[in-house]
Amino acid sequence: MRIIVLVGRVLDPSGIVVNRRRGRIFINREEYLVNPADRCALEAALRIKDATGAEVVALPRGPLPDDDVLRQALAAGADRAVYLTGDGFKGADDAVMARVLAAAVERLGGADLVLAGATTLDTRQGQLGPRLAEALGWPQIVGAWQVEATDGKVQAVLQAPTPRVGGDRVLAPGRRWGKTPPPRVGGDRHQPWSPLPPPPPPRVGGDRGGGYATVETDLPAVVTVLPGALKPRYPDGARLINIYRAEDAVERWDVADLVEADALKPLLERRGQDFPPERERGVRVSGTPEEMAQAVADALRQQVRG
Amino acid sequence: MDASYLDLLMAQQEEVTEAAGGGGGIWVVADVVNGTVAPVTLEALGAARTLADALGAYVYGVLLGEDVTDGSTELTTSLAQTLYQAGADGVRVADHPSLAQFALEPYLKVLSDLVEAEQPEVVIFGATAQGQELAPRLAQRTGGGLIEHVTAASLDETTRTVQATFPIYGGEYFEIAACSEARPQFLTVEPGAFPAPFLDPYRKGEPTTLDVEPVEPAVRVLGPAEGFEPPPVPLAQASMIVAAGRQAGGGSAELAEAFEMVKQLAAALGGQVAGDRGARDAGWIGPGQIVDVRGVTVAPQVYVAVGIRGDTFHNAAIEGAKFIVAIHPDPDAPIFQVADLCLEADPQEVLPALLEALS
Repeated sequence: MRIIVLVGRVLDPSGIVVNRRRGRIFINREEYLVNPADRCALEAALRIKDATGAEVVALPRGPLPDDDVLRQALAAGADRAVYLTGDGFKGADDAVMARVLAAAVERLGGADLVLAGATTLDTRQGQLGPRLAEALGWPQIVGAWQVEATDGKVQAVLQAPTPRVGGDRVLAPGRRWGKTPPPRVGGDRHQPWSPLPPPPPPRVGGDRGGGYATVETDLPAVVTVLPGALKPRYPDGARLINIYRAEDAVERWDVADLVEADALKPLLERRGQDFPPERERGVRVSGTPEEMAQAVADALRQQVRG
Repeated sequence: MDASYLDLLMAQQEEVTEAAGGGGGIWVVADVVNGTVAPVTLEALGAARTLADALGAYVYGVLLGEDVTDGSTELTTSLAQTLYQAGADGVRVADHPSLAQFALEPYLKVLSDLVEAEQPEVVIFGATAQGQELAPRLAQRTGGGLIEHVTAASLDETTRTVQATFPIYGGEYFEIAACSEARPQFLTVEPGAFPAPFLDPYRKGEPTTLDVEPVEPAVRVLGPAEGFEPPPVPLAQASMIVAAGRQAGGGSAELAEAFEMVKQLAAALGGQVAGDRGARDAGWIGPGQIVDVRGVTVAPQVYVAVGIRGDTFHNAAIEGAKFIVAIHPDPDAPIFQVADLCLEADPQEVLPALLEALS
């Protein structure tokens, strides 16, 4: 069995400072992390490797200026890593990457399972996995907490969606099928451009906990793993050093051999940045305890909405 | 002033408008939750209405499911009409048993046929589990560009392109992106980011029913995952923290009881319990729960400090928090200088009311 893991890198957010008033981002310490969700995907692949002896191949999730993250994947236990490079590849977005990676999978001689992080830490875009699944024509499982693959099938644990019309038809009666994901907290910067909408029905902590389901599909398939789903293992120290010493530890492929040059044109373009307004600290709330509590509850709902 | 620029601009615009002629429109794929239209869908319709009015286009809603138009159930006089009320000019309904629960392949088949037939300019989903599975797959199939977790949208009228804003690092700052050439443009909008539109009861319409070819879903649901518990989130990465300090009990109440209420608040908010060094000294929390630069440095979305005075070390450790609520009886407590919302009160008086207000 061959498992492909997509790994990418993100700028460590603890090294940046955002000045909201001047609308500038200062990078105090330019250090890159392996995208946390991709680390979990790699861990899921290595667990399958431990159980079944599968071959794990690491591919980049986007254009990379160097092959550091691939070497780290090798040190953690991947068997092969391929670094993609080429003219016009630098600006590739997820739509381009899906095409390139589908061609790379074909050139590798096919695969049984593709694992990727469900989101990236910085932009939170999660489109690569489903896009790749579509480009390959494979089924997809998005946002897995656990992944197991045995004899031609892959099983994953997912957070169950909220029931639609018709309610609870899939799961056993009595089971609460339908939990919203943990609060996607947007913070104060979701609101600055529009007048505040009326507060939504209470969501703060009200409908969370429980509600996980096991799903299954046939291989080959694409599975994306949530950040924090698994505890990633540390790379082996000696192995890491040897891999950094070995020049040819990572294979290098030219993207021009995989896809046509005009397939590398990104669909999206960056049009600038925007900054949330400065925080107003020290806003005092006064009144009776009940009024204060109500003000806090409204503010919390505003923060945790979504 | 050199007006040739304007001529060029207008010629460009005419060209674009002609190219977009026929079909087009802004389409919103509805999320249905517990038999009602999800709030995020209404918000998406509101946003679509604004964009469509500026573009001169129509807004369409797409409703997929089973029994969604059955007149006998109250359920959906309802669903389709809600879409009309929220701003849709037309509603397409796909009603089939295979669509009763969300499953990728049947939904994708209906939507990709629809996109091929109608050639929409913009397709909007909610950034929910369903939208995040459907939107990228549909975008890849139809060759469109997708921007996820959109919190604001503006319009580039000359090219009829939506410029979408999405958060970076959970809202530290925002990136603006646009898909200027490929069509359709796909967006998934973040729940709660756009204002909910006014539901106009005078807006009514007759939904169009779509033919549905049943497709077998590729992913089978085996059943509830018995015994599965998601791994605990370390305090440093928690998104909601309720922390107690020495003054959590105010002047009077039993200290142990006071901490009990802090725990209840954390449970009600779905957050983790922590404390400052004083709380550790009182034996309320473990050594791994001390928020302090010498303990754990935290960066939650919301940090609630109950009875914490806030010394330098504690305040430095919560610098990364996005929103801080402080409750403390002393008006001069240093915590009030870093908190976003300051309550000068005895926690024992506020906490019961807060628990009440949150339930």
